[in-house]
Amino acid sequence: MSLHAQDDPELRRAQEERLRTVWAPPKGWLRRWSDTNNNAVGPWYTSTAFVFMLFAGVLALIIRAQLAVPENDLVSANTFNQLFTLHGSAMMFLFAVPMFEAVSIILLPQLLGARDLPFPRLSAFGYWSFLIGGVFVLGSIFFNAAPDGGWFMYPPLTTRTDLSGLGADIWMLGLSFIEVSSVAAAVELIVGVLKCRPPGMRLNLMPLYAWYILVVAVMILFAFPPLIAGDLLFEMERLLGWPFFDAARGGDPLLWQHLFWIFGHPEVYVIFLPSIALFAMLIPTFAQRHLLGYPYIVLAAVGTAFLSFGLWVHHMFATGLPKISLAFFSAASQAVVIPTGIQIFAFIATLAAGRVIFSTPLLYATGSLAIFVIGGLTGVMVAIVPFDWQAHDTYFVVAHLHYVLIGGTLMPLFAGLYYYWPLVTGKQLSDRIGRTAFWILFVGANLAFFPMHLSGLMGMPRRVFTYPAELGLQGLNMASTIGAFLFAFGVLLIVIDLLRSPWRPLGPRNPWNAGTLEWLATPSGEQWGVRSIPLIETRYPIWDQPDFVRKVDEGRFFLPDAEEGRRESLITSVLDAKPVAVLRLPTPSFVPMATAAALGGVFILTTYHLYWLALAAAVLTLALVLAWLWQTAEIPEKPCKPIGHGIDLPLYVAGPLAPGWWAMFITMMADATAFSGLVFGYYFFWTVHPSFPPPGMTGPGVFWPMIALALMVLGWAATLAARETNRRGAVTAARLLLAAGALAGLAAIPAGLAGPWLSHLDPTLHSYPAIVWTLTGWTVAHAGVGVVGQLYALARSLAGLATPTHDADIRNVTLYQHFLLFTALVTWATLGLFPEVA
Amino acid sequence: MIGRLHQRFRALRVTLWTLIVPPTGWAAHFLFSYLWAAVRCAKTGRYVDAPAIFWGGTAAALLVILASGWIAWVQARTPGDHPPHEAGTDSDRLRFLAYATLLLAGLSVIGVVFTALPVLFLRDCR
Amino acid sequence: MRAGTSRRGRLAIVLGTMALGGCNHHQSVFAAFGEEAAGINYITLVMVAGGMIVAAGVAGLMIWAVRARPGALSLRGGERLILIAGGLIPALVLAALLVFSLPYMRPRGVAPADLRIDVTGEQFWWRVAYRPSDGTAVVSANEIRIPVGRTVLFRLAGGDVVHSFWIPGLAGKMDMIPGRTNDLPVRATRAGRFRGQCTEFCGLSHALMAFDVVAMPAEAFDRWLAAQRRPAVASADPGAALFLRHGCGGCHAIRGTAATGTIGPDFTHLAQRATIGAGTLPNNEAARLRFLREPAAVKPGARMPAYPQLPETEARAIARYLGTLQ
Repeated sequence: MSLHAQDDPELRRAQEERLRTVWAPPKGWLRRWSDTNNNAVGPWYTSTAFVFMLFAGVLALIIRAQLAVPENDLVSANTFNQLFTLHGSAMMFLFAVPMFEAVSIILLPQLLGARDLPFPRLSAFGYWSFLIGGVFVLGSIFFNAAPDGGWFMYPPLTTRTDLSGLGADIWMLGLSFIEVSSVAAAVELIVGVLKCRPPGMRLNLMPLYAWYILVVAVMILFAFPPLIAGDLLFEMERLLGWPFFDAARGGDPLLWQHLFWIFGHPEVYVIFLPSIALFAMLIPTFAQRHLLGYPYIVLAAVGTAFLSFGLWVHHMFATGLPKISLAFFSAASQAVVIPTGIQIFAFIATLAAGRVIFSTPLLYATGSLAIFVIGGLTGVMVAIVPFDWQAHDTYFVVAHLHYVLIGGTLMPLFAGLYYYWPLVTGKQLSDRIGRTAFWILFVGANLAFFPMHLSGLMGMPRRVFTYPAELGLQGLNMASTIGAFLFAFGVLLIVIDLLRSPWRPLGPRNPWNAGTLEWLATPSGEQWGVRSIPLIETRYPIWDQPDFVRKVDEGRFFLPDAEEGRRESLITSVLDAKPVAVLRLPTPSFVPMATAAALGGVFILTTYHLYWLALAAAVLTLALVLAWLWQTAEIPEKPCKPIGHGIDLPLYVAGPLAPGWWAMFITMMADATAFSGLVFGYYFFWTVHPSFPPPGMTGPGVFWPMIALALMVLGWAATLAARETNRRGAVTAARLLLAAGALAGLAAIPAGLAGPWLSHLDPTLHSYPAIVWTLTGWTVAHAGVGVVGQLYALARSLAGLATPTHDADIRNVTLYQHFLLFTALVTWATLGLFPEVA
Repeated sequence: MIGRLHQRFRALRVTLWTLIVPPTGWAAHFLFSYLWAAVRCAKTGRYVDAPAIFWGGTAAALLVILASGWIAWVQARTPGDHPPHEAGTDSDRLRFLAYATLLLAGLSVIGVVFTALPVLFLRDCR
Repeated sequence: MRAGTSRRGRLAIVLGTMALGGCNHHQSVFAAFGEEAAGINYITLVMVAGGMIVAAGVAGLMIWAVRARPGALSLRGGERLILIAGGLIPALVLAALLVFSLPYMRPRGVAPADLRIDVTGEQFWWRVAYRPSDGTAVVSANEIRIPVGRTVLFRLAGGDVVHSFWIPGLAGKMDMIPGRTNDLPVRATRAGRFRGQCTEFCGLSHALMAFDVVAMPAEAFDRWLAAQRRPAVASADPGAALFLRHGCGGCHAIRGTAATGTIGPDFTHLAQRATIGAGTLPNNEAARLRFLREPAAVKPGARMPAYPQLPETEARAIARYLGTLQ
């Protein structure tokens, strides 16, 4: 297709008609919920997270009402503990993290000039999981069954079934379910940023939002799995009595604290960085110039991501660990301030160098930076160990964390709301209401949280449902309560502004005169994302590339048509975004929703100890996942298609070129991290006990672990050989090898279980047999999944859906086997060989 | 000799993976410092019997970070103009990644020095 | 160094107290009565002053940036601002702060002759045992007395769940974790009656888990501890018999009587304590009676059972008897 062809208005109209048909959302009151397009899922996700935030905010108001005066009895201790547990948990797991994912699902395809994210059905699955899990966890408070052990759920208070009820299970299982959906979103976002950029958008031209999202999604990959591992141990203790955290039986409550905070501290940056990313988009717009110090921002994002994993013990300064250990974490907590400072100064420098338009979004941005700086400074204070010994678990820390989260997450989101509302709805919000609300929020936040610094140092611990009058804290607490209600009033004004939006007229396109790709969106809202996928040559193409918007709109760039009636986008290379292939995207479907419901069933039924039903739900989940996968990696009707400008791209790619391979790689990184959490548990117990295995207990021996290892190596080698023989065209040999690999994997399961079984290890007696059984169970379960994968690849080959030239399935299965091999080596060496040498 | 080395470094490609070498150096050093202290304190109750191991590890980490920083510095200066590297060319992409790597190396050096400071003041397991 | 610290610490206390006139003087870091707390107050003062300077500086720069004429900053100037103000200056300031704070982390040295006090956190009270260097143990609960001017080692353990031991005026807090023991050496600098509280969420009545701390001149403390070693004086009070008959001794010990339980707090010298229920109620007859009649209303989740079948007169007698345990 030449450029001249696009000069023909008739052709353009016909193309637009075809694109519109292909991207038309499903209609009907029921079918519309089968939508998977980011234009639908993103707003559902965002509004659900917003509603959960309002709910958690109301819980906070009840908390503040109870604490307004000393010795109050508005709510009972029992209710109060549920309130603060749910407030913290919901704000973290049901608002801050999902909100960033939701906003990214809306924005990222637009920012990257893509038609959608690479796995739209995965986004929909993530959303439905989030909705089901969120309603399950939040709904529990109406049945007086909400978790009441604090958002950190420290055992043994929460693991002893005589001291804690169903709420602990609801927290663990409900939120584990949501963590799974967070990891799914991370996979989606990483692949989106790395593989779905528009041609020419090299790494040095990527919008900073995309850099931040890449960094944050990678952080999720390494931060959430340790908590999932912790959740697993936690529920094994609660449901089966395996004593990981019970000191009387060789467990240690500190193991949970380590696993929780290895998640918990990076988590703070997981919710802070995306908000800073919003600043990185809106500050250049309102300074009307390029962001100054682009490489510094990348340095800061990557540096923060790394350093944030060296901070977790600063939540454990008072646990009595050796002071030298604490000091390392204190040092890292100081160092992480440096990249944060760099980001703030990059924004200041940009504003100083530019021509500032002091709009409502910029008002929110500067106001939240002011709040955040105070939170950052108190953060430096609590990173100093001796000061933290005083401040820890007092209202000083409550003040600090709310300054950080309001200044670093909530207010930036409001800035983003006022900035991006026209992008999503085509309508602008009210400047007058926005500015009024800002000042109410600003005063409310400071009035609510500044006095808490003092009340904390004056002896008010956190998580107390009451305090005696003799402590003289009435005035400070009353101020905090008034501030909290003022803040809530500010939020209410914003909600009113949002609710009035449907009655407002459509605004202009790109109302802020921004320079980045997402503002190609039209107010009337076309579902196709971009009319044609542009060639990018600068960081701010709308500002700097001549006639850019017109060329996009007239379809003069890539993929301006949908000739085959398929949803399509581009795959490009990681470093330089060279076009690699055309990505065919799936259509709306109920499968993601059904899979989310089935997986939700596994977690929810387990909460109520309905194990057989949970098992049935698990089998159903597996069946749905396989049915879902069966439709992927389809062999196209022709090998290549033209995308314009004389470029022909393949319609099928496999291995590292394909998004599916990257998704498998990233998922397995998360899986390996969770596994590392369990292995950490083993070696942690080894350091705690003078001898491990404890005296009088024998391990699984060397023989059976080594047999299991040999069988799993065999399964891996057979799969690898199958991939190679298949590629050379020996299809029958490849099928036989896959079958052989599956047999070896299957045999590895009883061999692995034989070790602890034959040595009569009782997991309820001591932490040693418990962790041995856990590692064994994890590894043989993964071997089982490996067998399912091998059989799946075999079935695809037999069904003619995989061939020597179209071998994405077997390549992905081989990649899984590489990770399985790593798991097997570590597990069987730890269980079989380590007791021999230690 | 130095000229030859320069040629070598110029031939090395800076990628997304090499970008994370300096902070990975910091992370390895940090984990080493913490685990060494935690395991020694838990198992022997004594921390600094052999400070040479700690300082050796610190020197090794600094060496890796400085080396990657130097390579990045060399690459950031080919062909030699100043940021912003915001043209859609191979050399600007390379120089951007190299410059970001250089900055990360700087941050990682600070991180390693910070991590090493406590050992000057605290030497036991209390 | 220590002496210098406490002098600067006192300055911090004075400034802090001036700023917060009229606030409590017994559970607050601003009312320091120990060397550890005073040292931390000095760090706090330095950091608050430094933090205020930084906050003002950043705010000023932000206002300047928004108001500056377009192009007030060149590209090179901007990058230099980011590198120097955002990177190098914070790195130097933070390194200095880290080096300044590290010596304060070193715990005070403890000699074998120093008094050790074992404290164990229970839901929702404190088990206390004084262990002077002669090896004997004196058991008490919910009130801790320490000598002024001598090093005292708190050895902290978690009984049922995780608790945290915090006396703001004396020192920083330290967790009490089941299966572990943590040492917290301290030294009080002035006599007085103070208060501590549990700071790790430990269940329903976490808010009601406090204790009294009495810092006494060393000689007075020695006399007091010697008196504590003695068992309770035999009593002909009718409450004494009722206490045993209703099984109170199954959980509470009164040394010198048949009551030897260890599930609940020791009552041997209960009358000397200022509060009951771990700092929840004043120690008077009406309060003791109320706790006995409706423990769940006073302290939700406490393991103390209610005794609804106990006749009012007998409950009163027990409450009165407990007030005689000097």
